[in-house]
Amino acid sequence: MAGSKDNGRKSGLRALIKENCLRMLRRPIYWVGFLALPLFMFFFLTSLMSSGLPTRIPAAIVDRDGTSLSRGISQNLSGMQMVHITESCNSYTEARHEMQSGRIYGFFLIPENFQADLMAGRSPVITFYTNMTYYVPASLLFKTFKTTALYAKAGVAVEKIEGAGLASYNLAPLLNPIGVQTRPIHNPELNYAIYLCNSFIPGALQLMILLMTVFSLGQDIKYGRSRELLERCDGSVLVYLFTKLLPQTLLWWVVAVFMESWLFRWNGYPMNGSWGWITLSQLMFVLASQGLGLFFFCVLPNLRLGLSISALIGILSFSLAAFSFPEQSMYGALSIFSWVLPVRYNFLIYSAQALNGLDIYYARVWYAAYCVFMLLPFTMLWRLKSAMKKQVYVP
Amino acid sequence: MKRKISSLLGQLFRVYVREFRVIFKDQGLLVFFILLPIAYPIIYSLIYNPELVRDVPLVIVDHDRTQLSREFVRRMDATQEVWVKGYADDMPEARRALAGRDCFAILEIPENFQKDLGRLDGADVVLYTDMTLMLRYKGFLMAATNVSQEMGAEIQKRDLQTDLPVAVSVNDPMKVQNISMGDITGGFDSFVMPGVLILILQQCIVLAIGMAGGAKREPSYITGYISFNEEPSVFMTMLGQMLSFMTIMIVPMLFLVHYVPMMFSFPMAGNTLQILAFLLPMVIGSICLGYCLQTIVLERESIFVIWVVTSLIFLFLSGLTWPRFAMPPFWQYVGDCVPATWGVEGFIRMNANGADLQQVSVEYKAMWIQAGVYFVIAYLLQRFVMRPVVRANYPLTPEQRASIEE
Repeated sequence: MAGSKDNGRKSGLRALIKENCLRMLRRPIYWVGFLALPLFMFFFLTSLMSSGLPTRIPAAIVDRDGTSLSRGISQNLSGMQMVHITESCNSYTEARHEMQSGRIYGFFLIPENFQADLMAGRSPVITFYTNMTYYVPASLLFKTFKTTALYAKAGVAVEKIEGAGLASYNLAPLLNPIGVQTRPIHNPELNYAIYLCNSFIPGALQLMILLMTVFSLGQDIKYGRSRELLERCDGSVLVYLFTKLLPQTLLWWVVAVFMESWLFRWNGYPMNGSWGWITLSQLMFVLASQGLGLFFFCVLPNLRLGLSISALIGILSFSLAAFSFPEQSMYGALSIFSWVLPVRYNFLIYSAQALNGLDIYYARVWYAAYCVFMLLPFTMLWRLKSAMKKQVYVP
Repeated sequence: MKRKISSLLGQLFRVYVREFRVIFKDQGLLVFFILLPIAYPIIYSLIYNPELVRDVPLVIVDHDRTQLSREFVRRMDATQEVWVKGYADDMPEARRALAGRDCFAILEIPENFQKDLGRLDGADVVLYTDMTLMLRYKGFLMAATNVSQEMGAEIQKRDLQTDLPVAVSVNDPMKVQNISMGDITGGFDSFVMPGVLILILQQCIVLAIGMAGGAKREPSYITGYISFNEEPSVFMTMLGQMLSFMTIMIVPMLFLVHYVPMMFSFPMAGNTLQILAFLLPMVIGSICLGYCLQTIVLERESIFVIWVVTSLIFLFLSGLTWPRFAMPPFWQYVGDCVPATWGVEGFIRMNANGADLQQVSVEYKAMWIQAGVYFVIAYLLQRFVMRPVVRANYPLTPEQRASIEE
């Protein structure tokens, strides 16, 4: 007798899972949220930066001197890979106008009487202007402009030293005694895509997991199914969540493993650690994000508010998780929030395991942090249960 | 003719008034129209408000241990970007510190650093940096380059004056000066936030209108009110709603483009009136984009699933973080279709570089064309998709119709 009851329950569960899956399959919104948007984000972000660092940044030269020397400098600048001299302006005002109109990102100004002042030892000033409103192109222009100016300066110095009869000396170390050799570890070509996609793509995945978890749970309450579903699960909210979230977990796992392969295999981003640990990280990341979404919905069992908080946290994650601006530089009151986001741990594990190939010892805490997110909703399940019983939809 | 015009204006007025009632009854819409554009930029700006990345920990491996190498380290520590956390005895120890995130770069000073510099051979220091964050790398590079050039110039001066019998001054034949325009401090907040403000504006509008569209399809026993305006003329209904949306958005919009930059001391070189005039077509374009979206939003909450993640897409398409000319052409075309792409581009130039309306005329015209095209599409979709759907979903009882038409 007991056995048959058990059997009945098992088949009941199976039927419930099947029902939940069918319900998701029937509605396009689930296809969009689970597959179309995440996959689009993967593809979009990697393809956006596929052509590498921008080169040929539009810039201008303002040559107020017009001598052979200033023309030489202009020619040197035009020959640099990073810049594309699109305009030749006659004055600062004209160049600034071009910059305000967005046609150039910076300009290089050689003053009047440049050559004459130089020869007379009056120390003329070369000035370059970069439009920092556009961060990346302006930084790259800055580098090129500075190099050009320093070359010009060195050229003048060499001429003077040679003029004094010291040509036999090795001049390079004299002109630049201390060099800096940089070793950007595991990203020697300063590839922006590596650093950006590895943080923003999991961030997008976390956002979608949060939204879809809350959305799917809220639907049952909104359409007045939750009371009946809870009864079919013998009043156990755990069983209900099992039937509801298990198919989603499996689907998210497939998406997350695809994401991992997309980043580290097909796009060839650095993968210096163990595939096993990184895969485990992705799987746990999915569970942690689902846990956080579930926690939000337990605290706010209202479809719209649950989605609002998920959207807010999901979008703020891109800033709070310190993908571009380090958390040590944020205000303390805000930087603590970076530690309550699953994607932060995904990012740290990526950095330790995939990028830097460190021993798993250094990532041990972060794997444990995932578990906290998975356990978090269990403190609040009673709220979900009572909301499911009340079955009230607030628009 | 006169009667027709007055009837149309009457419709417009009724829609305009009733739309306010619809919006103020709907908490969800109010959040998108009022709360989000006011709260979100403040949180966002606060995150980045420290602007610069200061005092990032660095560990030194000094194989030389001379007066000159110590001087180099002292000057590194004195830069804004770097904090010398300490010395490591050898590279393995330094690498352990790097792995444990106790520091984010290692500076290795070679043996014979002082000696080599003393005999005019030149010497290189080696900087190993963690590449997890670009901003940290940039700070380290900047600090090391500045210190090496500064010390190099002093060594050069000393060499030329003492070791070499040169009477000419080659130390400072000319000066090189850099001036940053726009975001003059190079701060991260001042760079990224003005653009983000415009994206927030667009997204709030589209989210609100998308959600309103979802409500149109849902029966009133779920939403608790009749959520649509239905005058005979679709055109007037749209126009009336647009006017009411814009009326509601005036305060949040002023807050976004004027008060937020003021509160956080972002660059504010533009003329606020011109900026508002510039953003008008973007607002219209966004509203019409929202109208188009209404056709695929089947319930209020779907808008979150469909639209929230697009903020990220539009952020990148706008060229704020990655310049548009470096994108594949396909994505440039896609970006051209988004009102905020042009809005961000024009707004940051007006706001940070002090461009006037005439200098952003390309963007301005593009946004008007966009607004026109989106309006036509939106009209067709509203007329031939949304209206029949609403009619079918909503067989109105005479009393309900009367209450709408009251």
